[in-house]
Amino acid sequence: MDTLISNLSLGLSVALGLQNLALAFLGCLVGTLIGVLPGVGPVATIAMLLPITFSLDPTGALIMLAGIYYGAQYGGSTTAILVNIPGEATSVVTALDGHAMARRGRAGAALGIAALGSFFAGTVATILIAAMGAPLTRVALLFGPSEYFALMIMGLVFAVVLAGGSLLKAVAMIMLGLLLSTVGTDLETGDQRMTFGQPFLWDGIDFAVLAMGVFGVSEILRNLGQSEDRDVVRGAISRLLPNRKELRQSVAPVVRGTLLGSAFGILPGNGAILAPFASYAVEKKLAKDPSRFGKGAIEGVAGPESANNAGAQTSFIPLLTLGIPANAVMALMVGAMTIHGIIPGPQVMTGNPSLFWGMIASMWIGNLMLLIINLPLVGLWVRLLKVPYRLLFPAILVFCCIGIYSINSQPTDVLLIGLFGSLGFLLIRFGFEPAPMLLGFVLGKLMEENLRRALILSRGSLSTFVTEPISAGLLAVSVILLVIALVPNIRKGRDKVFSE
Amino acid sequence: MNEIKNATGRSTIRAPQNLAGGLALVAVAALALWQLRDLTAGSLSEMGSALMPRALAVGLGLMGLALAVSAFLRPGLIIERTELHGPVLVLLAIVFFAVTIRPFAIGPVTIPGLGLIISAPVAIVIAGLATPEARFRELVALALGLTPFCMLMFGDLLNLPIPIFPASLIGSFPDGWSQKAVLRITSAVMLAATVVVFVTDRQKSISDQGSEG
Repeated sequence: MDTLISNLSLGLSVALGLQNLALAFLGCLVGTLIGVLPGVGPVATIAMLLPITFSLDPTGALIMLAGIYYGAQYGGSTTAILVNIPGEATSVVTALDGHAMARRGRAGAALGIAALGSFFAGTVATILIAAMGAPLTRVALLFGPSEYFALMIMGLVFAVVLAGGSLLKAVAMIMLGLLLSTVGTDLETGDQRMTFGQPFLWDGIDFAVLAMGVFGVSEILRNLGQSEDRDVVRGAISRLLPNRKELRQSVAPVVRGTLLGSAFGILPGNGAILAPFASYAVEKKLAKDPSRFGKGAIEGVAGPESANNAGAQTSFIPLLTLGIPANAVMALMVGAMTIHGIIPGPQVMTGNPSLFWGMIASMWIGNLMLLIINLPLVGLWVRLLKVPYRLLFPAILVFCCIGIYSINSQPTDVLLIGLFGSLGFLLIRFGFEPAPMLLGFVLGKLMEENLRRALILSRGSLSTFVTEPISAGLLAVSVILLVIALVPNIRKGRDKVFSE
Repeated sequence: MNEIKNATGRSTIRAPQNLAGGLALVAVAALALWQLRDLTAGSLSEMGSALMPRALAVGLGLMGLALAVSAFLRPGLIIERTELHGPVLVLLAIVFFAVTIRPFAIGPVTIPGLGLIISAPVAIVIAGLATPEARFRELVALALGLTPFCMLMFGDLLNLPIPIFPASLIGSFPDGWSQKAVLRITSAVMLAATVVVFVTDRQKSISDQGSEG
C-alpha cells in the first residue's frame, strides 16, 4: 500500500509538471477533435496523430498519446450520441440509448453522464493499474518463451470467440494477420520473405500503415456508397449535467460498468471490446422496466460508457507488464514506444519508473481533462458534426496521407494505405471482420520469436507447451474457450449479445 | 465480383459471399506460397524462415477452401453491388498524393516532387469528386482553405519532415527569406483566396436560387 502511494505520487509529480500537463491537455483536445469526425475511431486517430509526438521526450510523447487515445474514445461517444454514427465498435452501444436521449432533448445529460461515468471508471482503472502493475510484473518475470507463446495463443482464441459472425472467418482473419506479420526480413536468418523483391517491404509492414488503411481508408470507401442521412441534434444543448433523478439512476450502472470493463480489459485479445455490450446486457436485465432501453434510458449510456473507458484503460495492463499488446491501439503504443527507444515489458517499470508511473498518473489526469474540455466545448463538436460528409472525407483522407507519410517519410507507405484500404473494403464486402486480422498481425512477430525460442530450448519438441505447467494451463483455457464457443447453445447466446 | 447474382432460388451456389471470400483466401495463400518457394522451413528445433509463414499460408488456404465448399452447402449472403466510381477516385487521390509529395521514381521515370502545397489540394479535389453530391467550387474552397492549415500545422508548428514546396522551386526563394517565412506568406495568400472563392460561391448559389425561384 505504501509503495503504491509513493509510486503514484512519483507519477503525479511527473505528470503534473507544466509541460506534461500541457501535453496531456493538447493530446485530449486534438484526440477529441479528430475522434469526433464520423467514421474515425481511436485507431485511425492515433495512427494519424502519431507523428506529432515524435519531437517530444519519451515520457511527454506517451502522455500525449494516452491523451489522444482517451480524447478519441470520448470523441467517438460524442458522435455516437449526437449523430448516431458510432466511430468504432465500442460506441455502438452508446449510440442506442444515447442518441435516443438526444432526440428527446436530453443530449446534454447523455454527454454529461458519459463524461462523468468515464471519469469515475478512469479513476478506478488507474488505481487498478497502479495496484496490479507490480505483482503482474513479477509474474511476467516467471514467463519464458513457451508461456508467452501460450498466452498469445489464448489472446487469439479470445479474439476469435469475441468476434461476431462466423468462427471460420474469424480464424481465417487471424491467420491472414499472422501471415502479413511475417512479410519482410526474418530477423533470425536474414531471409527476405514475401517482399516481391521490393526494398520498401524489407522492414516488413508498419502496423500504423495497416491500421490506417483498414480502419481509416476502408471506412471512407465504405461510407461513400451510403447515402448521407445524418440527423445531428438540432437546437442548443442546454444543460450538460444530468438532473438529480438521472444521476441517481446512473450510479449503480456506472459502478457495475466499471467493474465489468476493468475485468474485460485485462483479458488478452481485445476483451475491452466486449465490455460495453456486456454492461448493456446486464443493465437491461437488471432494469425494472427493460422496455425503456433503446428509447433513451440513461442507464444504457452510463453503464456501457463506464465499461468502455475502464476497459480502454485496463487494456494497458498486459502491455505495461507483459509487453503484449492486447489490441490495435496498444500495438500503436508499442510502435510509439519503440520509436522512443523503449521496449514495452516488465523492465519498463523497474528501469524507467518515472516514465511508467508518470504515464499511469497522466491517465487519470487525462480523464479529468476530458471532463473539463468537453463540457464547455460540446457546442464546437456539434458544429463540426454539422459539416457534411462530402467535405469531411477529403479532409480526413488528406490528414491520413500526411500523417502516414510523416511517420517514415516514405511515399510507399501512402500507397500501402490505399492498398490496405481496398483490402479492408473487400474483406468487409466478403463478410470478414478486420479486427481479428489486426490482432493477428500485432502478435505475429512476437509469437514467431517466442515459438522459435521455446523450440530451441526444448530441442524441437512441441511437448514443451504441455509439460510446462503455466503454458499448459493457458492452452487448456484456450481449448475450453474454443469448445464453449462451438457449442450451439452458447453460440446462439453469443450471437444474441452481438445483435442487441 | 459483381457478376455473381442473387443466390436465392435453385442456384447451386448458396452463399456467393462465402464462395468469393473463400476463393480470395485461397488466392492469397497461393501467392504467399509462391513467394516463399525458395526459402527453407528448417526443422522444429531450428526453425527456418519459411516454417511459420508456410504453415500459416497452408492453413489459410484450407480455411478458404472450407469456406468456398460451405458456400455450396449452406445458404448465406449475396455480394452487394458496389459502385466503383467513388472508391476508384479516392484511391486515385491517395496514389496522386503518394507519388507527388516528393520526387518518386517508377523505373526510369521520375515524377517531380510537388510538395504539400500542390499534392494536398489536388488530392482533396480528386477525392472529393468521389461522391455524387460533390460540388466543384465548394471543393476548391475546401482545398484552398485546408492546405494552408496543414502547411502551418505540420510544416511550421510541428516541424514534420514533409516537403511543403515543389522541389524545383526551393532554390528560387528570394534571398534572405527562410522557408518558414515563405510558408507563412503563401498560407496567408491561400487563405485569402479561400475567402474569395467562398464568398463568390455563396453569391453564385444565392443568385442561382433567385433565378430558380
